[in-house]
Order: sequence, then structure tokens, then C-alpha cells
Amino acid sequence: MTNLQSLEFFIPELILTITILAALITDLFVKKSKTNMIGWVLGVGLVVVGLSVHNLSSAPPTTLFLDMIVIDPFSSFMKIVIILSTLLVIVASWVNDELEKYRKGEYFTIMGIMVMGLFLMTSSVDIIMLYISIEVVSIMSFVLAAYLKLDTRSNEAGLKYVIYGAFSSGVMLFGLSIVYGLAGSTNYFAIQDTLSSLDGSANPALIMALLMIFAGFGYKISSVPFHFWTPDVYEGSPSTITAYLSVAPKAAGFAMIIRFFHQVFSDSIGLTSNSIGSTDLPWPEIIGVLAVVTMTMGNLVAIQQKSIKRMLAYSSIAHAGYMMLALPVLSMEAVESIMIYLFIYVFMNLGAFFIVIFVKNKTGGESFEDFEGLGWKMPIVGAFMTLFMLSLTGLPPTAGFVGKLYIFKTLVGAGSEFLWLVIAGGVNSVISLYYYFHVVKVMFLGGKRSDVITYPPSTMFGLMIFTAVPSLILGLYWNPLASWVKDSLVFYNQVM
Amino acid sequence: MYRDFGTVFFAVIMGIVMVSIPLIISWLIAPSNKTKDKLDTYECGEEAEGSAWLQFNIRFYIIALIFLIFDVEVVFLFPWAVVFKEMGLIALIEMGIFLLILCAGLAYVWVKSDLEWVRRRIKYGGGRYKPLSASSED
Repeated sequence: MTNLQSLEFFIPELILTITILAALITDLFVKKSKTNMIGWVLGVGLVVVGLSVHNLSSAPPTTLFLDMIVIDPFSSFMKIVIILSTLLVIVASWVNDELEKYRKGEYFTIMGIMVMGLFLMTSSVDIIMLYISIEVVSIMSFVLAAYLKLDTRSNEAGLKYVIYGAFSSGVMLFGLSIVYGLAGSTNYFAIQDTLSSLDGSANPALIMALLMIFAGFGYKISSVPFHFWTPDVYEGSPSTITAYLSVAPKAAGFAMIIRFFHQVFSDSIGLTSNSIGSTDLPWPEIIGVLAVVTMTMGNLVAIQQKSIKRMLAYSSIAHAGYMMLALPVLSMEAVESIMIYLFIYVFMNLGAFFIVIFVKNKTGGESFEDFEGLGWKMPIVGAFMTLFMLSLTGLPPTAGFVGKLYIFKTLVGAGSEFLWLVIAGGVNSVISLYYYFHVVKVMFLGGKRSDVITYPPSTMFGLMIFTAVPSLILGLYWNPLASWVKDSLVFYNQVM
Repeated sequence: MYRDFGTVFFAVIMGIVMVSIPLIISWLIAPSNKTKDKLDTYECGEEAEGSAWLQFNIRFYIIALIFLIFDVEVVFLFPWAVVFKEMGLIALIEMGIFLLILCAGLAYVWVKSDLEWVRRRIKYGGGRYKPLSASSED
């Protein structure tokens, strides 16, 4: 489709651009104490964007801007997940005391630009577009991570993020250039055509290129061994940004990986050793090992953490591992299970982070000591935190259980060669039980019992309700979500 | 194919030779009279002092960023001007939107007092800097 015809299908992004500009300009006219208003501007804009994404989700899949990006139900689903998490984080930013000292205008504006990048990440089908969208997201997250400029830890987080980000995107760019050299085109579909007809002589280059590209992807979803930035960045950043980084870029990262591997490198059944060009490497096993190492590493190191924020950072690495479990199969069911897991993960993880923000507002700390006796002092918060911990562990009847169920079901259905992944995933869930329940134990058994009960302020309470209800309801009644995901399971150019 | 790259290789060799010949000639026949002033780092005619590894004022970077925006604008305006006649009204609207976005950026840095070298406090928009104090120097 030509550029001008594409505009009609690009309306969500156009509205988003206008919203970003409006947020930027509003910042010039408000006093420091009133900068929450810019969050309103962005929030209202994002709701409109969400509605127009929803309108377009039933449009037939097609490519836009001369095969640069696609619009299909899969990208619409991911965009709605991203909008949901952004809206929740915007509301949380209003009540986060860490940000009180700063003007929030640029904060919200940059968040809007990041949403733009995430949108393009989910839908790009061209190497150059992919790279640009990753960079938009990365650079904006560097700035957001370092937003508390009077706090050295936040500065450290920003700097570390820049260095890791620059390095991994450089490596990925090198890999992409090798793919371009092999295929002679930057378009996914053209690359797929050329690569499937290559003979074995290009294998070393192809393997190098894939490993390098995975360095970039792994950095975005914080998979081992590209995870080292995660704990430090998550600990230093403002808590709201930590929450945001742990869900939205991860969702877009998985969308990007699925689109790249599913459309460029796999045949219709899934990822097999024959499907990536003509290389003989056991790709499913390699990605499977990476997934298992990622979640085991995340879980084992999470056990030793003193700070709950850092513990949640490692737990988010572990959750990336759970989602990666389905990648080696990469059939339609695998994509479906990843989508369901992502949707559930957004709510339970954001909920846990919101409670960390609330406790930090009250006590000024985020270590386990600050949570002592919380279940008695603030019973509502304690109950919600218990629910989120249950859900993150994956125990029934919470939503996390359904997410894990879908992933394991995919693996079992895919055949006996994937059974070891199921076992590894099960063992890891048990390990994670220990540190998630440590939080619950500290909240209810530690500390002194108090007769004074504190209730959360209404905004915070609303946020907790909004994240807790899906975390519980989706564990009991997940049919609407499952059917929505099934409807969204349409890629452009699905026939390969 | 080898002939094509041969041409490039020849050009590279010629480039190296043509640069080195004058250097060699001047090294051979020029009088060598080294004084301290001649060996000093060239700094627009002024006497060099201090180390080059000092902290630059962060505002140089902001000025550079603002410059970059308008630099890129010109890069886009030139090809636009070439195809303007064929594309007509749509090109005008597109470039109008592009310039409008850039103008929003200019308005932003203006109100945030990034265009002022001397720091000042402003009522709205907050300004990025503290007022000039006795201890600070730049």
C-alpha cells in the first residue's frame, strides 16, 4: 500500500502523535505542582488511541507504507496490552511520591513517545523499521530510568542502561546487516523467500547473524545471558518506571521476537532444525536451554534479595523465561499461550509493583523489613499483595495459574521432546514459591501487630482493585480472554 | 568484478601516494626550526592553557541538540523542494506538519529558557536551571 493510502490505517499512531505534542505544549503552561495534568492529557489521548486500535483490529491484515509495517489482529492485541499497562502506570505516577520533587511534564511526554515506539515494534516487518522502533523505545527508557536526577542510584540506572543498550543494539545491528547481506532485502517476507532457498554454504554467516540478533532481542526481554542490566536498572529507576519497563517493552519485545522468528525463520509447523535456512543446529533445543537457564537464574537469585523491588526484578527475568518456554515450539498454540501469559502478567506484575510504590510512600523503603507486619497494619494492601504473590507463583485459582497452564499445555501437546521443558518449568514454579511466600510470611507473621489500621488512598485503592480483579477473575473465568486471543491470532501473510 | 574493485584499489593507492609525496618533499627540503610557540597546540591563535579534559558546561550539549534539530530540518527540506512541483498540495501540507512539529520543539526550548545563556527563573514552564549564584562559574 502506498504512503497516502496507508494513513487511513495509521490513525492510532497519528492520534498518538497529536497527543504527544499536546502533552509537550501543555507542559509549558502549567506550574510545577499541576504537572499531573499532563498525565490526564496523555491518558485521555491513549484512551482514544485504544478505541481506534480496536476499530482497526477487524480490518483485513495488510502492509502499510510500502511494506514497512503491518496491521493485523496480533499487533492490535499487543497494542491494547501496551495501552492498558501505560494507562495504569500513568495513574500510578500521579501518586508516586518519588516523583514529587520533579516536574512530570517531560516524564509523561517521554512515556507517550515510548508508546509510539512500542506500537511500531509490534508491527514492523522491515529490518530498518524494527531497528528504529527498538531505538525509540530504548532511548526513551534510558531517560525515564534516570528521571530522578537528584538520586544517584537513578543516574546509575540510566547510565548502565545506556551502555548495555548501546552495546546490544550495536551487536544486533551487525547481525541484521549480515541477514541483509545474505538476503539482499530488508523486508521480512523477501528475506524469508531468499533464506529458504539458500544452500548450506551460507550457514556460518546465518548462524552468526541469528546469534547476534538474539543478543538484541534477549536484551529487550531480559533473557539470560543478556539480563545483567535488569536488576540495577529496575532498582534505581522510579518505581513506576520499573513497573512499566517490566511489562510494556517486554510485551512488545515478545511481539517482535514472535513476528521475526515466526515469519522469517520458521515453517508452518513451528521452529524446527530445518526451518532456519538450512542450518543443522538444533534451534528448538538452544532456545529451550536459554529459557530454562533464564528462569532458573532469575528464580535462584531472587531468593537472595533483600529488597522487594530487586526481588521483583529477578522475578520478571524468571517470567521472561516462562514465556520463552513456548518459543521453541512456535506453533500457533505457542503464540496463543505467550499472548495469554503476557496479558495476565501485565496485571499481576503491575499490581505487585503498585503495592511496592504504596509501601515506599508510607515507609520510605522497599526492603523486606518495610513490609513487616503489613498484613496487620494495612489488611487490604496485605490481602492484595498475597493475591499478586499467589498469582505470580502460578497457584490456582489465580490468573497466573491459567497462564502457566496454557504454556505447559502447549509444550505437552507439542510432543515428548519438549517434556523436559515442562519439568524444568514445574521445578522453577516450586522454587519461586519460596521467595514469593517469603513476602507473605513477612507481612503476616513478622513485625508487631497493630491496632491502628491504615487504608490506602482512593487512587491507590482503585489501582489495586483494577489489577487485582483481573488477576483473580481470569483464573476462574478466562474464556473471554482465550477467545479474544484466538481471534487475534492472525498474522499478515500467515500462509508460508 | 575484479576490474571494478581494481579501480577502487588503484584510487586508494593513488590517494595515499599523492598525499605522502608533498609531505616527503617538505620533510626533505624544508628548514627545521622548532620553537615552543610552533609546537604548541593550535587554539585559534590564543595561547593554549590547561588540560583539554575538563568538564564542559552541559548546556553546550543542549545547544548542539537544538542545532541538530534544525540541521535535520534543512536536510529534509532540500529533497522536498526538488519534488515539490510534481507532488503539489500534499507535499505542502506534509512539510507544513513537519515544520509545525519542529516549531513546537523550538517553542518548548524557548519557554524552558534553553536559548538563554544566562540562567534565569521563569514563572511558567519552570526553567531548567537554578538562578545564577556567586559560587558557580562558566
